[in-house]
Amino acid sequence: MDGARHMSGDRFQVITSSMHREYRNLVRGLTRIVWPEFMLHDPVANENWHELLERFADFQFALYDSEMGRVAGMGNSFPLRWEEPLENLPDDGWDWAFTEAVKNHKQGVMPNIHCAIQIIIHPDYRSQGLSAPIIQAVRAVTKAQGLRTLIIPIRPSEKSHYPLTGMDDYITWKTDDELPFDAWLRAHVRLGARIIKVCHQSKTIRGTRAEWEVWTKMKFPQSGSYIIPGALNPIEMDVEKNEGVYVEPNVWIVHEMNWL
Amino acid sequence: MNTDRFRIISPNDLEDYREQAGNLSDVCWPEFMLHDPIANVNWHELFDRFEAYQFAMLDTETDRMAAMGNSLPFYWDESLEELPELGWDWVFLKAVECHQNDITPNIQSAIQIAIHPDYQNQGLSMMMVKAMGAIGKSQGFQHLVAPVRPNQKSKYPLISIDDYITWKTEAGLPFDAWLRVHVRAGARIIKPCHEAMTIRGSRTEWESWAGMKFPQTGEYNIPGALNPMEMNIEKDEGIYVEPNVWMVHDI
Repeated sequence: MDGARHMSGDRFQVITSSMHREYRNLVRGLTRIVWPEFMLHDPVANENWHELLERFADFQFALYDSEMGRVAGMGNSFPLRWEEPLENLPDDGWDWAFTEAVKNHKQGVMPNIHCAIQIIIHPDYRSQGLSAPIIQAVRAVTKAQGLRTLIIPIRPSEKSHYPLTGMDDYITWKTDDELPFDAWLRAHVRLGARIIKVCHQSKTIRGTRAEWEVWTKMKFPQSGSYIIPGALNPIEMDVEKNEGVYVEPNVWIVHEMNWL
Repeated sequence: MNTDRFRIISPNDLEDYREQAGNLSDVCWPEFMLHDPIANVNWHELFDRFEAYQFAMLDTETDRMAAMGNSLPFYWDESLEELPELGWDWVFLKAVECHQNDITPNIQSAIQIAIHPDYQNQGLSMMMVKAMGAIGKSQGFQHLVAPVRPNQKSKYPLISIDDYITWKTEAGLPFDAWLRVHVRAGARIIKPCHEAMTIRGSRTEWESWAGMKFPQTGEYNIPGALNPMEMNIEKDEGIYVEPNVWMVHDI
């Protein structure tokens, strides 16, 4: 538990939903604050979110600010079974992982891998050096659960400034010191993660034209591609079908831990 | 808002007019828009040759410039439907050329109406459009044309300007707020001018203008731009071609 020990006695403590009675109240609303509205309409997420606390309570954690008595960040994850090479992880990354973990658990399949689906910092706590501690916290969960491999369908958040660049190209962009250009990818790589590949259809979000207009405060008078604030790729609006589709690309990364 | 506090002034009416106007440009426009070479080479001509066509709206309570308007006269004897694709850049050069050659102008073109962000959504844009038309009218012109920048198009960079100008509100007015102001003031849309301004810069220049990085050749969406910008890494050149909309007021 190097992550937890690193912060014990410190202002920020790692808590999990199974160990802290108030966890549910402490993290309430955080997801809603952090994401652009349309990101809250992935049906796979909405149908399965309750499963996190019901089935995988030890895998839901938060970074607790003991001085302020509030949560600075949170992470959601679960174990799943994966026997093939990591290079074969599915193209529908996030949606697949969530569905697969629930299925494995229902069938009593023994998990062998840890997968994180959300790691977020409250806006009030950004730019304060908390991304490393929260990544260390999720790595600590991997170890605490006796697993060696942590995979994440990561959302490279700065990609939203570059919606016309392919994700396969974007992940090759580097800083002057040869680290990934994207700050969130970089934070993981600095702590030992490796990029596996892009998962091009990690989340699929569909809505009517009226729904998209509410979610984005834009208008969609005609069919076509639209750039949406906060989206990593353009959405496709089909006015005749009254449907807008956003397919979010993420990036499979892995933290391998030789902790035995 | 009390509109009595605002007064239309000429460049000579305010000691620091040019300085305040420069500050207003800086806050109203995304940085890259300040790098159109036609504008930068010729801006002084507005004051050297066409001073009567430059004006501002002064907030008399604070002595601050709340808005400014720039226009110029030129000569055009063809149909308005024939106005060039090179809209803004073209009309600026055309007006200077006419003036240099002593050609008597017969029409006025708007070049800029900029409202300070602190004074937006208070009805000043309509007052500015009317004040500009009044200048042309006093010169005996029948038409004020304008290569209008529909600035909400910046949220729709993947939609063509030809489609965008057909978008309507429920009241049947143009979707775009600036187009709507002109139409409410009596103007009609003539057609888009697809290459109204052309702005070129090296990769480094664009990186500083946009606060972004351009690691590879391709199209990029730039905050505030109406269309994507094309970056060519091998040529070390990014090109932004801005589409505007020719409109005309009968004055």
